[in-house]
Amino acid sequence: MNIKKLFKMHYLLAVILLIATVSISEAAKGDKEAGKKVYEKKCAWCHGWAGAGDGAAADFLNPRPRDFTSGIYKYKTSNIDNPFPYEEDIYKMIANGMTGTSMPFWKDVLSDKDIWNLVAYVKSLAGLEGEPAAKVNYGKQVSSSAESIKKGKELFIDRCSECHGDEGKGDAMKKLKDDWVGNRIWPRNLTKPWLFRAGSDPKDIYTRISTGISGTPMPSFDDPASKKKLTEEEKWHVVNYVTSIKNEARRLKDGDTVVKAKRLTGELPKDVNDEKWKDVESTAYPLVGQIIAKERFFTPSVEDITVKAVYNDKDIAFLLEWDDRTNSIPGDAKAQELADGEFYEDAVSIQLPVTIPEEMEKPYFGMGDGSHPVNVWHWKSGTAKDPQSVNVMDATGFKNIKKRDKVNITAKGSYNKGTWKVMMTRPLKTDNKDDMQFEEGRFTPIAFATWDGTNGEKGSKHTITTWYWILLKPPTGSKVVFIPLLVAGIVLGAELLIARSVKKK
Amino acid sequence: MKMSKLSLFVLLTIGAYLVLKIVVPIIGRFLHPGTWPLIPTSLLKMYMLFIIVTILLYLTSKEEDAKALIAPIKATLTDPSKRMLRNIIFAVIPLLAAYITYSNVAPSYDAPVELRSIHPAPPSSVNAYNKSYNLLTLKNPLRDDAANYAKYVKEGGEVYFKNCFYCHGDKLDGKGHFYQGFNPQPLPFMGTDTIAQLSESFVFWRVATGGPGLPKEGAPWLSAMPIWEHFISEEEIWKVSMFIYDYSGNKPRTF
Repeated sequence: MNIKKLFKMHYLLAVILLIATVSISEAAKGDKEAGKKVYEKKCAWCHGWAGAGDGAAADFLNPRPRDFTSGIYKYKTSNIDNPFPYEEDIYKMIANGMTGTSMPFWKDVLSDKDIWNLVAYVKSLAGLEGEPAAKVNYGKQVSSSAESIKKGKELFIDRCSECHGDEGKGDAMKKLKDDWVGNRIWPRNLTKPWLFRAGSDPKDIYTRISTGISGTPMPSFDDPASKKKLTEEEKWHVVNYVTSIKNEARRLKDGDTVVKAKRLTGELPKDVNDEKWKDVESTAYPLVGQIIAKERFFTPSVEDITVKAVYNDKDIAFLLEWDDRTNSIPGDAKAQELADGEFYEDAVSIQLPVTIPEEMEKPYFGMGDGSHPVNVWHWKSGTAKDPQSVNVMDATGFKNIKKRDKVNITAKGSYNKGTWKVMMTRPLKTDNKDDMQFEEGRFTPIAFATWDGTNGEKGSKHTITTWYWILLKPPTGSKVVFIPLLVAGIVLGAELLIARSVKKK
Repeated sequence: MKMSKLSLFVLLTIGAYLVLKIVVPIIGRFLHPGTWPLIPTSLLKMYMLFIIVTILLYLTSKEEDAKALIAPIKATLTDPSKRMLRNIIFAVIPLLAAYITYSNVAPSYDAPVELRSIHPAPPSSVNAYNKSYNLLTLKNPLRDDAANYAKYVKEGGEVYFKNCFYCHGDKLDGKGHFYQGFNPQPLPFMGTDTIAQLSESFVFWRVATGGPGLPKEGAPWLSAMPIWEHFISEEEIWKVSMFIYDYSGNKPRTF
């Protein structure tokens, strides 16, 4: 065979290979049989061995794992005429995970190929084939401006607030269910975009408004048959409004673990809305289910709590704020409408050690232990008959909690548009030996817990935090200026002495 | 041109500092992707003190070297042509000292550093399920039944995804949906530096008695690991142990 012929053969082979590759990738990007193997190792535990969303973990999760046999996918970029997602949409859900749920991002442990194979497999579980015909039309993006936000707000109040609440915190006035097995679902709290399931870029939000969320009451605002239809421009206005209402204070900041109690010279704030709270720094803490002791709780609805504190010569006051979609008032007809059967009061508590630890040893973070008692300040939201109440409990473990007869703290809460604000006040020092005595300048452990009564939280079923810190920062005295000046003086003196001794030689 | 001893001293010191401050975290990131493990400041100060003393010892080991090291300092102090430089140095050093002192005395909100032992030494025997176990001889009884290995692993997986994954993660990477809420954060099982270093009896002890079963140096008051003997059976612990080793591709330490 001569060289020329060999070249031609290679050329031909390359062309054949190219054609083969292109046609395979058009048919499907992944191989469903290979996908099944990955699925059974990584996914079946939650999504079930046959993909029906009924794996071992399913009952312990909210939201529940997706049922792939239904073919309904909440997040897609195909337009309203195409009920099923692009393969790339499913790819992204697997690769990036669903923020704010237990679905993690898989791109760190699965290869690109593994993920495409999974896409092919989960599609096959509902017999889905091919790709949608058309994408959402994004039109011309309207950049954010005061005017656009204002227009967006008007549209939001008209179209969205019915479910998402006046301030977008998802404090619904309606009971909502999904299409799978009628799971109770709640509208997204739009002030925490970092928890949006499928991205919080303006384009992602635009997509959600355009496609709606399949299988849920979130409608498509592209539906020409709907009176609520929005034009492309209007949708961008709503996007700009939604991105403008994020509440950075609720966002957890890495390593920020200290409640920074501020010293005030005069009176402490009178209530939760007092102007004096405005310029006090707040710290946000993550809340998770109480999964340590019986009865455990796996599906909390509240994600985080924000804490401020101020003090003066006599007293210390805490302001606790958290987003809760419901004001749970047992006995109230309206609250009953939103609840599933029996429900309970909302509540919040602060936990403190009775003795400020000298070393690192603290009480057990779950209600203390035999040799390290804790104080728990427990506020409850009240019922239709009973007013709000506050108790102090002395605890030395989950099973050893005593409620006091006499309470030396005051507490008052106020619920407004999806947010609870509760203020608790106590004297810095008390004459009760079972009380923690606050001290300026000492790092003191502190922990928090919340109960959402409408979410079935009562007794041991609630959210908790681990131990964090509170510091009553003393006023910066003259010491802080005086000591560095003294050091500078000594150093300068030493320098002059050295210079002189060197010169003499 | 030969480098002056003083410049060498300064360069070596800065080099050592950069290694501790940047190279060590890079190595750490390589070993544990996604992390940036810094050396605690107090430890860094101590290391730097030893390093400076060592460099000084090295540079002044000979009489003439010591002189060469001090010469430029001496020159700055005495040479009339260097008056300007001298005055600047004399002003800067006290200001620097004042600044360092200020940052130390000014009250801050930085949380105190707490050092806990991640793998405290296990006791020789533990009590759980109303029994006493000798951890030196304790073995996973299910491993002898090789014929049913796959069955036990799968059942262990079910136990894991009903009890453990909230914290230890769907990916066994220690990043379950509740992981952020706890300190210490949950142990990851993937990789070769956690459970691969432990014998199965150690795993049994840590699971059965949970955080409160830790010795004092393990800071039992902080760990959120529940006391699992209250929730699952002995057999379930052995099964879940088989699952986490199998899933992560590790083997229990047997020596």
